[in-house]
Amino acid sequence: MSPAVTEQIRKEYGAVHAALPASVIDPGRRDEAIEKLCAQGLPATREENWRYTNLRVLEHARFAPVETHGPAMPSLPQVPPGFVRYVFVDGLLRSGAPASGPDLTVRSLRSSGPSSSDAWLPCPDFPEARLALLNEAFATDALSIEVRANAAPAGIELIFVATAGAQAGASYPRVRVALEAGAELTVLERHVGAPEAASLVNSAVRVDVGENARLTHYRLQQCAARAAWFDTLTAQLSAHARYHLLAVGTGALTARSTAHVRLAGAGAELALSAAALADHQQSHDMYALSEHVAPNTRTIETFRGIASGRARVAFNGKIVVRERACGTDSRQSLRGLLDGPQAEIDVRPQLEIYTDEVRCSHGATAGKLDENMLFYLLSRGIAPQTAHHLLKWAFLEDVVAKIERTELRRQIERDLAEQMSGAAALMELL
Amino acid sequence: MLKIENLHATVDGKEILKGLDLEVPAGEVHAVMGPNGSGKSTLAYVLAGRPGYAVTAGRISFQGHDLLALAPEERARAGVFLGFQYPVEIPGVNNVYLLKAAINAARKQRGEPEVDAFEFLTLVREKMRLMRMDESMLSRGVNEGFSGGEKKRNEILQMLVLEPRLAVLDETDSGLDIDALKIVAHGVNTLRAPERSLVLVTHYQRLLEHIVPDRVHVLVNGRIVRSGDRTLALELERRGYDWLISEAA
Ligand SMILES: Nc1ncnc2c1ncn2[C@@H]1O[C@H](COP(=O)(O)OP(=O)(O)O)[C@@H](O)[C@H]1O
Ligand SMILES: [Mg+2]
Repeated sequence: MSPAVTEQIRKEYGAVHAALPASVIDPGRRDEAIEKLCAQGLPATREENWRYTNLRVLEHARFAPVETHGPAMPSLPQVPPGFVRYVFVDGLLRSGAPASGPDLTVRSLRSSGPSSSDAWLPCPDFPEARLALLNEAFATDALSIEVRANAAPAGIELIFVATAGAQAGASYPRVRVALEAGAELTVLERHVGAPEAASLVNSAVRVDVGENARLTHYRLQQCAARAAWFDTLTAQLSAHARYHLLAVGTGALTARSTAHVRLAGAGAELALSAAALADHQQSHDMYALSEHVAPNTRTIETFRGIASGRARVAFNGKIVVRERACGTDSRQSLRGLLDGPQAEIDVRPQLEIYTDEVRCSHGATAGKLDENMLFYLLSRGIAPQTAHHLLKWAFLEDVVAKIERTELRRQIERDLAEQMSGAAALMELL
Repeated sequence: MLKIENLHATVDGKEILKGLDLEVPAGEVHAVMGPNGSGKSTLAYVLAGRPGYAVTAGRISFQGHDLLALAPEERARAGVFLGFQYPVEIPGVNNVYLLKAAINAARKQRGEPEVDAFEFLTLVREKMRLMRMDESMLSRGVNEGFSGGEKKRNEILQMLVLEPRLAVLDETDSGLDIDALKIVAHGVNTLRAPERSLVLVTHYQRLLEHIVPDRVHVLVNGRIVRSGDRTLALELERRGYDWLISEAA
């Protein structure tokens, strides 16, 4: 990324920083973020962990936050049962009442200000988190979700809607989720957009799961066809915490998701399941770093990606096992499906182990649809196109079937079927 | 029903079928037997239209139409059913989806409305009972984690539900214990009808004790070298294939 872009960022920041809400992020921290970002530079495709990301959109972007919303709001999906909805438009909370019960607090920092428990620092020594610095400098709102110790299970849905085009500025969704010991929460995070808007979205999510707490986190990237979506998630898991992160990406022209999960307490468990479905000129790229710091921690990682048309799909799953993390158990199953001669897939498991007595296994494959399966379906009278859809569908099921909430799973299944162009026949089967 | 004339077919450029003739009239059950590698599965695949199995000469007519002009899915909808020697597992595609999609594809072809959900389940349950299959299999992926015998029974279940005009069963008997063999044979026998033909591809005559064929053909080196009634199967059981192989050579 050229120095001209960091100069541009600095200039835009200079023009707007006085107007950015101090209650969301302290001005001093915003300044620091800008300095750090400019010192490190934005990510570039020549860097190993960014080479599948389409970073060109950042070269001509406007980084200042959106001031004028776009003309159209997309229609929003139904709220699945058991969830309370919060809607953000171009980064600002539009609807959803703050909660402040004994078990659960949900607050917009723009209106309520930070409390002492808000900790936003990205995990240290994580150079891939640079885009989170951009978020930290420009964010106009942030949602803080805190769940008290041993709280009963709850469900929160966050919808981030991008309506403005990139010329009107960027939007910066920002969320912090913190679970105290023994708490249980399900978060459903959706990113959507007005159909015509070529928006630039750069979100930052920070997750803390306390001892024995359990967080299920569904993330759906369904941005508009011309949007660019960047995302940085950092998570810290305490002893025996369980974090199920399930991401399904179908939208945006360019999508890059970066996740760093630190298994910091003994016995912590991460289940990371991700599915990507890309067609036409879409590029979907995910980098997931699972850092085992404490003993007897576990990562189960599943990726299923399909690239059709001229699309590009990449998943880079890195497992790092630190010195103290003996007894680590990690399993990676990464599979890509090439659906067309011009599509591209790259699935890469990486392992870095600094201790003994670990069990780390991985399987990674990228290939075409299985001819035997296809013929079997045809031999039963199923049309070739339907057979293709059915097999693509089945391929993603390894991830989708892990969605425990039935209604939500149905919704996502329908979205996926819709995304596969002409999958009407498939919809009838569901 | 089915008439094959001078069929030549190649796989990967290698000629496997070398002038095969076979006629199966409506209402009859014919067995095709032969040593390993003689081309039995190739014949079954050619009938079903498997890509990669190139017909280089000859004709296949099915109910008076040129079967080779049809795509695989069109053959299925026209009433050709292939019971696979090695049914593939398709995790993530539900058995019920597959059955329903298959039924509806054939109905659409005939200009009939889609199957009613209740009617469909009733039909499937009835056939499952006949095949002694557990209903829990319906919600599993196609053949996913099925034992060899379960896969074969699932093939027959699909056949019973689809009620084809012509069923080609490729070594449906292999890998079955005697009880499973009887169940499968019973299922097949319920489908025998004047307007339907069956081709049983098999290596052993064991199956033919339970499904009595009208004719038996011996396939050696890509050709039918002998045809006869069911006593031919017994003769093969006694004498093996070697005498026919040396005769053919
Ligand atoms: N995909 C293939 N590529 C090349 N040769 C094949 C292929 N499939 C089958 N063959 C060959 O074709 C011949 C006939 O095979 P097959 O029809 O499976 O025999 P059968 O079912 O009678 O045992 C064998 O020599 C086998 O090795
Ligand atoms: Mg065979």
